[in-house]
Amino acid sequence: MIASVVFFAVAFLAFLGALALVFHRHPMVAGLGMALSTLSIGVLYVLLRVPFLGLFQAIIYAGAVMVIVLYIVMALGQEETGPRIGSVQTGLTYVAAALLLVQFYWAIVRSGAGPFPEGSALPPVAAGGTNYPFGTIQAFGSLLVSRYAVPFEVASLLLVGAMIGAVILSRRSWS
Amino acid sequence: MTIALGHYLILAVFLFTVGVIGALTRKSAIIVFLSIELMLNAANVVFMAMGRYFGQLDGAVFVLFILAVSAAEAAVGVAIVVAFIRRRGTTDIDAANLMKW
Repeated sequence: MIASVVFFAVAFLAFLGALALVFHRHPMVAGLGMALSTLSIGVLYVLLRVPFLGLFQAIIYAGAVMVIVLYIVMALGQEETGPRIGSVQTGLTYVAAALLLVQFYWAIVRSGAGPFPEGSALPPVAAGGTNYPFGTIQAFGSLLVSRYAVPFEVASLLLVGAMIGAVILSRRSWS
Repeated sequence: MTIALGHYLILAVFLFTVGVIGALTRKSAIIVFLSIELMLNAANVVFMAMGRYFGQLDGAVFVLFILAVSAAEAAVGVAIVVAFIRRRGTTDIDAANLMKW
């Protein structure tokens, strides 16, 4: 009961933040709306029994990414630009968005997805030759270094490449 | 009432649709970039809910990879926006017409 109340409150906050991001004219409010939305999604991860990923979400998104973006907004871009009302592109976008909503809603209702498994219906996760309870960081880490070892290393390469690329892109001169 | 898989999927669809509207209708490059991040977040919610539904942690691992990719995207994207503001003095994406035919 309490979990469903928390879910609806957090889902409402996430949707409210998304609306503030897309429809508010001021970029600062938009950035703060995005922060609210990502933090609420982090709470949803806790509700889904993977609490440490909710923590990662709060640190990486609401911490790192949002601080960078809000810094850019404060330092450089103060102009207020709302949605382009009236153009052909805006009209087509709303038609496409409505179609997307109807299609996904139809697919979800038709799939007949039931409630989440609880207790004994939620088996332990096999990772690295051992069974761990669902949602523990032991299971997650074992999975990361056994089944997903190669993507893990590729992700580190990607981060190094992005870091070097960001430094090169934000140099002052191209000499 | 108990919260089922469908509730999470509907929420993810709403967030994704709002992100699509933002990415296609806003003029500021920063807001477009943040809307794309919102769409990535909606996909993350689907990954987590499906992983919980099937009792597998693979969805959570994919969410971690998407977090890494979006952090890399944020670094490069913000650097591009900064370079763009230096050249054109605005974040209006209509001003990015150098490669327009």
